[in-house]
Amino acid sequence: MSLDFSVISPYIPMILTGAWFTVKASLCSVALGSLFGLLVGALRVLPIAPIRWIAAAYIYVIRGTPLLIQLFLIYFGLPSLGINLNAFTAGIIGLSINSSGYVGEIVRGGIEAVPKGQWEASRVLGLSYVQSMRNIILPQAIRNMLPAIGNEFVTLIKESSLLSTLAITELTMAGQQVRSVTYASFETFIAVGLVYLCLTSSTSLALQLIERRWQTR
Amino acid sequence: MDIAVQVRGLHKSFGELQVLKGVSLDIPNGEVVSIIGPSGSGKSTLARCVCNLEDIDQGEIALYGRRADKGGMSNKEQSQLVGMIFQQFNLFPHLSVLDNIILSPMKVRGIAREQAISKAAELLDRVGLSEKIDSRPNELSGGQQQRVAIARALAMEPRIMVFDEPTSALDPELVGEVLEVIAELAGSGMTMMIITHEMSFAKDVSNRVVFMADGAILEQGPPEQVLERPQEERTRTFLQRMLPHHTNVKGAEI
Repeated sequence: MSLDFSVISPYIPMILTGAWFTVKASLCSVALGSLFGLLVGALRVLPIAPIRWIAAAYIYVIRGTPLLIQLFLIYFGLPSLGINLNAFTAGIIGLSINSSGYVGEIVRGGIEAVPKGQWEASRVLGLSYVQSMRNIILPQAIRNMLPAIGNEFVTLIKESSLLSTLAITELTMAGQQVRSVTYASFETFIAVGLVYLCLTSSTSLALQLIERRWQTR
Repeated sequence: MDIAVQVRGLHKSFGELQVLKGVSLDIPNGEVVSIIGPSGSGKSTLARCVCNLEDIDQGEIALYGRRADKGGMSNKEQSQLVGMIFQQFNLFPHLSVLDNIILSPMKVRGIAREQAISKAAELLDRVGLSEKIDSRPNELSGGQQQRVAIARALAMEPRIMVFDEPTSALDPELVGEVLEVIAELAGSGMTMMIITHEMSFAKDVSNRVVFMADGAILEQGPPEQVLERPQEERTRTFLQRMLPHHTNVKGAEI
């Protein structure tokens, strides 16, 4: 068996277009997922039990079910309730919701790792719960959370390949299209894999730099 | 006479463990009260209850006549009546010394930044740490951190200060500098409740010493009386056991 990458070279722009779409989808989902995850995580530690339970149940369901099923529910399921979303919107929503469950759990861990004395000191200094959370607890918690959040970003980039099942032409789908015209399966998916590797390693690198800056502060 | 701290029939348990068994204590305005006793006697829990860091099971706590237990007053209102110093300092590690001090005056009392900064500078001067204004807590020694914590608490201009074993986490050579600051504060007429193991310090700064054991107040009175002529057998045993430590403290204080 021999590998011949020249067969797929005319299709490289197609793969890169798909990669660009993967980047866009991942960035949107990371941003929305983190924002929502921060909220879920903060609710998860709220001193009001019923709200805490709802947040815990949300995290439990999201983390306990496959992303693929979540995407199917949003894209194929919601229309039966009269909610029709285009594939891209459904994909971003699905990825963001999925990510928020994981980020929520990371946020909870990060918040709980801040020593109790920090809460007590801010309380006796008169800060309200929200003021303590925003000014004292979260800045310290986010520092604790950075490595885990970095992993979550990398995971999200890889899992965005499932958007291909919603007929979105992201990187994986682009690969399938190239394969179907060139029949060079091995070459195509090696190339696609390498592009994913580039995306994930540059993300890791960027996050490591951010982390280092935060620690030296 | 204004009663700064009024504790009535205070009960507190942690699970099965009864930590406070009906403690009553009045601290008049301007009085400095030291609370001594063996570990596990409930003295720290009493201090934490006064600062509303624990939910009490039974009894009542009032600060200057206002109910202070369980939602009796807001964090904001409480912070202007009582400040607390912790054994572990609990400075905010992500903020500079200055930001540690000005955060709550600005956020809670709504004081303008420039005004909060000049007050902070004044307080840092008082605790002898003016040059550390831009440092991070992790660049300071334990004694310096505790002095910053005192400046931070004073920035809220509380009427009462509660010290929960302020020097217990310090290396022996750093104890003196912190006690000096607390003694200066006591001399200024501030109402204080000091949980401490430093017997000679308690004798020097307090108007009254309270001995606690097993979740109750066993004996109290002027420092000379409680520390030198204790009436209760438990107090005597406790003081005898503290004696070697006692001499250490004298040495460190100079």
